[in-house]
Amino acid sequence: MISFLSLVLALLAAPLYPGIILKVKAFFAGKKGPPLLIKYYTLLKLLQKGSVYSTSSSFVFTLGPVVSFAAAIFPLCFFPFAGSASLVSFYGDVVLLFYIMGIGRFFTVVAALDTASPFEGMGAAREVFFSTLAELAIFAILILFYRLTGSLSLNDYFHGENIITLAGVSGALIVLVIVALFMVLLTENSRVPVDDPATHLELTMIHEVMILDHSGPDLALIELGAFYKLFFYAAFIIQLIFPFTAPFSILNMLLFFILMALVYVAVGVIESIMARFKMDLVPKFILTSFALVFFAVILTMGVLQ
Amino acid sequence: MINILEVILVLILLTVLLSLGSTRLMALVRIMVLQGVLVSLIPLFLKSHEILTFGSVVFYLAMVIIKGILIPALLYRAVKHVSIQREIEPFVGYHASIVAGLAVLLAAVFMANSLKLTLPEGRELILVCAVTTMASGFFLMLARKKAITQVIGYLMLENGIYLIGNALTQHHHNLYIVEFGVLLDLLVAVMVMGIILNNINHAFDDVDTTLLGQLKD
Repeated sequence: MISFLSLVLALLAAPLYPGIILKVKAFFAGKKGPPLLIKYYTLLKLLQKGSVYSTSSSFVFTLGPVVSFAAAIFPLCFFPFAGSASLVSFYGDVVLLFYIMGIGRFFTVVAALDTASPFEGMGAAREVFFSTLAELAIFAILILFYRLTGSLSLNDYFHGENIITLAGVSGALIVLVIVALFMVLLTENSRVPVDDPATHLELTMIHEVMILDHSGPDLALIELGAFYKLFFYAAFIIQLIFPFTAPFSILNMLLFFILMALVYVAVGVIESIMARFKMDLVPKFILTSFALVFFAVILTMGVLQ
Repeated sequence: MINILEVILVLILLTVLLSLGSTRLMALVRIMVLQGVLVSLIPLFLKSHEILTFGSVVFYLAMVIIKGILIPALLYRAVKHVSIQREIEPFVGYHASIVAGLAVLLAAVFMANSLKLTLPEGRELILVCAVTTMASGFFLMLARKKAITQVIGYLMLENGIYLIGNALTQHHHNLYIVEFGVLLDLLVAVMVMGIILNNINHAFDDVDTTLLGQLKD
């Protein structure tokens, strides 16, 4: 019951946080910025509209947003928020979960290719290339967590007695993981310095260019899916930084949602003070995140057993 | 309870990796500030060191000032003065450098395990960290063309040596006197580098050290 409740809360709250990023960016630019609930308004507006489909696109194009949205919700069902047990959990679910996210990406890419727009093909190529590299870092993290806990389930990582946290036995290694995971978060969710969500030129886009042809409810699903994905990664980082011990309480949940805002503020600050990388520097950025986690894995072999 | 010593060591490893991958010289100087301060904080968190004598407090302060302010300020001036921003065409590329960093760490862990030194409690990670920092400093000196990056590599090498000293010693006074001498040498070296860099820049319009190999009238 509690797991279900926390999941629903998370699903409801996820569109709030990108508003925080916009507020932080507006603060740095000396502007007032859009209202905090802007993303809810956007979703509402999009859901009221109709969709337009090009005559040259096939059923794949309509399938894309639905599958990618489902794939974005899926990981949240496995996530133990703030010390509550996760809704679904079994041995090896983390592997499944990241593959499901891969399926979501695959369908976004296929839908983009289906429009036969040259821009979208270009964006698709970039998206696939960068997320392939990011997967390397993610699975290095899973290897590390397996070495630390001997388990392959999100529930075991963040719920129960031996949770992985900064304050734990090998907390020093978690520092590396947090930095790497933040880099992966920026990559996977197409934020600055990897991709600029506010850019207006198709040639420079990565993620945004793939969804140019979607409209109305389809676009709303894609946006919502993107919020959930960002929420998942941010929650992952927060669980590593702060140990939420069971039993679950309202106070814990509140603290969790406040801490979550910090991750988004960090994203907003980075977007305000950094320019995006040249395309050829992005692989180096992602490779660095992989190297960081691999450092941690190597250290578990020798010293910090 | 967070083990602060381990966290600092891991952060030092982070700076080593970042310095191997950074293309901009300004970023490199900033990373060296962080690394210098972190390295000079290490002795404060070693268990067997008694820290609150007057001499040692002065020493730690001097360390932080020299490594965290004085040397970076000189480097900063040098970078500003010759107005170079990034290393173009290094001998070894950045991706390869990061992978080399991983290989170095792997070798360091293997070394620390097989040396079987009788280290005081909880210092194995310092040894790993020290060897990695040293080897990466060497690597940076070999793999980059600009004189200023080579000096930064030299600084990293020195940081690594200091860490090794920290890992191995039980009684700290003698070490720190020697270390202080080395530190002063280093300071002078960085100053001299600033002057030489300026002269290279005058003579060649660039600070690429490969140009020094071509001698002609």
